[in-house]
Amino acid sequence: MRLNVSLIIGAILTFCAISIAVVSTFWLPYNPNLPNIPNRLLAAGSAEHWLGTDVLGRDIISQLMVGARTSIVVGAGGATISLVLGAIMGLIAAASGKIVDETISRVADIMLSIPGMVTALVLAATLGSGALTTIFALTAFFTPSFTRVARSAALSVLQEDFITAAQLYGRGRIFILARHVFPNIAGVLIVQFTLYFAAGILTEAGLSYLGVGVTRPGISWGLMLSEAQNQVGVSSPLAMWPGLSIVIVVLGLNLMGDGLRDVLDPKLSKSIL
Amino acid sequence: MTDSAMDVRDLFVGNGDLQAVRGVSFSIPVGGRMGLVGESGSGKTLTALAMMGLLPVGWSTEGRILHDGVDLSCQSDSQLSRRRGRTISMVFQDPLTALDPVRRVGHQIISLIRRHSDAGKAEATEQAKALFRQMNLPRPAQMLRAYPHQLSGGQRQRIMIAIALACYPQLIIADEPTTALDTTVQKQVLRTLDVAVRERGTALLMITHNLPIIAAICDTVAVMYAGRIVEAGPVAEVFSKPRHPYTMGLLRSQPTMDNIALDGSSRLPSIRGTVPPLQDLAIGCAFQPRCEFATDKCRLETPKVIEGLSCWHPIVLDAEE
Amino acid sequence: MTGILELRGVSQAYRLGRRSPFVTASYLQVLSNVDFAVRTGQAVGLVGESGAGKTTMTRILTGLERPQTGQVLFDGKDLWEMNAVERLEFRRNLGVVMQNPRSSLDPRMPVGSSLLEPLRSLGIDCDHVARVNEVIEQVGMASSVLGRYPHEFSGGQLQRIAIARALMTRPIVLIADEPVSALDVSIQAQVLNLLMDLVTDLNLALMLVAHDLSVVAYATSRVSVLAAGEIVETGQPLELFSRPKSKATQDLVAAVLTMEAGLAGRGLD
Repeated sequence: MRLNVSLIIGAILTFCAISIAVVSTFWLPYNPNLPNIPNRLLAAGSAEHWLGTDVLGRDIISQLMVGARTSIVVGAGGATISLVLGAIMGLIAAASGKIVDETISRVADIMLSIPGMVTALVLAATLGSGALTTIFALTAFFTPSFTRVARSAALSVLQEDFITAAQLYGRGRIFILARHVFPNIAGVLIVQFTLYFAAGILTEAGLSYLGVGVTRPGISWGLMLSEAQNQVGVSSPLAMWPGLSIVIVVLGLNLMGDGLRDVLDPKLSKSIL
Repeated sequence: MTDSAMDVRDLFVGNGDLQAVRGVSFSIPVGGRMGLVGESGSGKTLTALAMMGLLPVGWSTEGRILHDGVDLSCQSDSQLSRRRGRTISMVFQDPLTALDPVRRVGHQIISLIRRHSDAGKAEATEQAKALFRQMNLPRPAQMLRAYPHQLSGGQRQRIMIAIALACYPQLIIADEPTTALDTTVQKQVLRTLDVAVRERGTALLMITHNLPIIAAICDTVAVMYAGRIVEAGPVAEVFSKPRHPYTMGLLRSQPTMDNIALDGSSRLPSIRGTVPPLQDLAIGCAFQPRCEFATDKCRLETPKVIEGLSCWHPIVLDAEE
Repeated sequence: MTGILELRGVSQAYRLGRRSPFVTASYLQVLSNVDFAVRTGQAVGLVGESGAGKTTMTRILTGLERPQTGQVLFDGKDLWEMNAVERLEFRRNLGVVMQNPRSSLDPRMPVGSSLLEPLRSLGIDCDHVARVNEVIEQVGMASSVLGRYPHEFSGGQLQRIAIARALMTRPIVLIADEPVSALDVSIQAQVLNLLMDLVTDLNLALMLVAHDLSVVAYATSRVSVLAAGEIVETGQPLELFSRPKSKATQDLVAAVLTMEAGLAGRGLD
C-alpha cells in the first residue's frame, strides 16, 4: 500500500498533541496558575522557562500543556458524543419508514440551520461557562451533521445485495444495522470524526477567547490568546505560542482526516480493467 | 496512412508496475468495422482509452496510434481534446454516467456542434434535431429539452451515439454500448448505430465480450487475451473456423438454442481456469495454463503473430466438426 | 401437479402518491393472478422484460414481501400462516443466489465468515467448519480462500462463493436471480454447469430467472414468461422459443442475437 503523506504527518502531529495532553495529567514543569511576579514576562529561551512566562510570571509551557488537555478533551468529547448519537439517529432514519425518517431528517436540518457559535453563546449564558457547557454546545451542533452523513451512507449500503441475503437467512433489522451496515459506514464516520474533532478545538478556543468557555483556574489556548492580547505591544510572542499550538493541532487533524479518506476509499473501489 | 481510419502499431499500455496491453497492432480501414473481443483483464478498454487519450493518471503508452495523419500518442492533452468528438469519438457502456445529469441533453450536443464548426445556435439546434430524427428518437424538439434521468436507457444510449457522430468523425469507438441495456432494446440501438455509421462512412471499433453482436455488425475481429491479440481476421472466418484455442473455447461456451439435449444432460464446454491477474502472467503464451493443446514450446516462448494468429499450436478443424 | 414452492393466484400492487381523504388512491399493479411452481429435481426458468415484475415475484417467493392476494406455499403450507418454527424450517430449506456477486457479499467480512452466517443465524447444529469446507469444495474452490476478502476475487469466483453460501443449510430449493448475467462469457458457462450439476447431484428444485433465453433453454426444462405482471405462457423452453404464442414471448425471441444470423448477414433483423 502506497504510503499516504497526509495521513502520516497528520497522525504524528495528532499523536504528539494527545501525548502532551496525557503527560500534563501527571507532570507539569511548573504550576501553571501560580503567579511568579518577579519572573514575569520572561522572554523565550531562558534556562528555566524555555518559552518564557506570561504577564503574571506563569510558565508558558505548563500552560500550553494544560491547554492541550482542554482542547483534546473538549474536542474529542464533543466529537465522540456527536458521533455516537448521530450514527444511531442516522441508522434509525435510514432503516425506518418514511415518517420516522422524515422526522429525524427535518429535526437535523433545523438544528443545522442555527449557527454553532450562537448555540454555544446561548448555552453559555444560560448554563454558565466551562468545558462541560462547551462540550454540550458542540454536541448540539455536530450531532445533526453526523446524522445526515450516517443516514446517507447507510441508505446506500442498505441497497446492496448482501443486506437482502442477510434477511434471507433470518437476520433481524438490528443485527443487520449493527453488524452489516455500521462496519461499512465506519470509514466515512471516522473521517468526519477527525474533522469535527478539529472543528471542536477551534470552537472551544474561540469561546474561551470570548470569555464564555474555559476560565481560570482552567486553562485553554483561547484563554491564553485573550490574556496575551493585552500584551501585544509589550511581548508579542505571548500570543504566538497558543496560536501556533491551535494551528498545528487543527492542521494535524485535518491532514489525518484527508489521509484517512484517501486510504479508506480505494479498498472499496473497483479496478478499471 | 490516410487510407485507414486508425492504425495502431505495437501498442503497450502500462502503469509502471504492470503492463495491461502488451504489443497490440491492428488497422481499421476507412468506413470499416472491427470488433475487439475480450473478457475482463484482456486490456480491451485500456486500448480504447489509449486511442482517445483518456488513460487514467499513472498509465502511459508506448507505440504508435496513427489517425488522421498524426500519431495520437505524441499529441498533447489540449490537441487531443480539440480532436475528441471531431475526428474520433467514443460511446461508453453506461449512458447515465456519461451524460451530464444537470444539463438538458440538447445542450451537450449543440455545444459540441458549435465548438467544432461555425454554426450558430439556431443552425446547431436544427442539426441536433435532424440527428435525433436519424436516431429514431421520438419528438426530437422536445427531447432536446429533456434531462437524462427522464429518459430510458435505450434513448440515452442513442443520444450518446448521436453526440458521438454529430461532427462526422472518421472513427467511433463503442465500448460495450449495449451491455447495460435490456435485451429487447439492444437490437434497436445496434440497428441505429449500424445505419448511422454506414450513412456517414464512419469507421467503427466495437468492443464487447458478446460474440453475436460482433457477428451482426462487424467485418473484421480481433480477439484479445491478457493484453495481446491472439487471433484476428474477417469475422466470417474467425467465427466459423477459429484457429486459436481461446477463440474456439469462447465460441463453444456461448449457449445457443441448437444442440441442446432435451433431458437436461448437456453441459456447455467451458474453458477451465480463469484469466490470470496481470502480475502472474506466465512467460511464453499467456493462455497456455488453460489450453488443452499446450506444448513445451508454448510454455517457454511467446508465440509470434503470423497472419493474424498468435499460437504455436493452431487448431485445424476436421471435416466432421 | 404441485411444487415444493408455489405461488397460487398471487397479485401484488403498490400504492402511489400520498394518503389523503380527498384524493382517490392510485395503485400500480405489479403482479396479477400469478401461478408458478418450483419442483424438486427440476429446473424452471422465469423470463421477461425488465419491469415485468420478476423481482417482485422473486421477493414474494422468498418471503421478503407479502402479496396482496393469493398464497405462497412451501411444502403445502402458506408462508404467511406459518409459526416461527415453520418459518425457520422454510428459511433453512431455501437458498438464494443473486445477480451481482460483488454486492451479495459483505466487503468487510472475510469470505469464510460470510459462509458461516446462514449456519449461525438459522441455528444449524453441526460442525460448522467442516460444513464450510465441504461446501466450498462442492463449488470447486479451495478452503484456502476462506480467509480472504471479496475484493480479492474475480466475479466468477465470487459467484461460486455466493452459490456456496446458498447451499450451506442444505436447502431443497435454490432460487438463482440472473446468476450469470454479470459474468464474462467464458465464466458464464462454468457457473451454469455448476448449477446444473448441483440440481442433479443434490436433487434440488431450481428456479432460474434470466433475460438470456439461451441460458434458460440450456439450464431449465420448463419456463414461464412474465409480461406486465402476468404469466402469459409456460412450456418447454425450446418449443416455447421456437413457436412463441404470446406477443411478449415473440418480442423476447425477436430480440435475441444469434451467431448464425449474424454470420448470415441477418444479425440485426
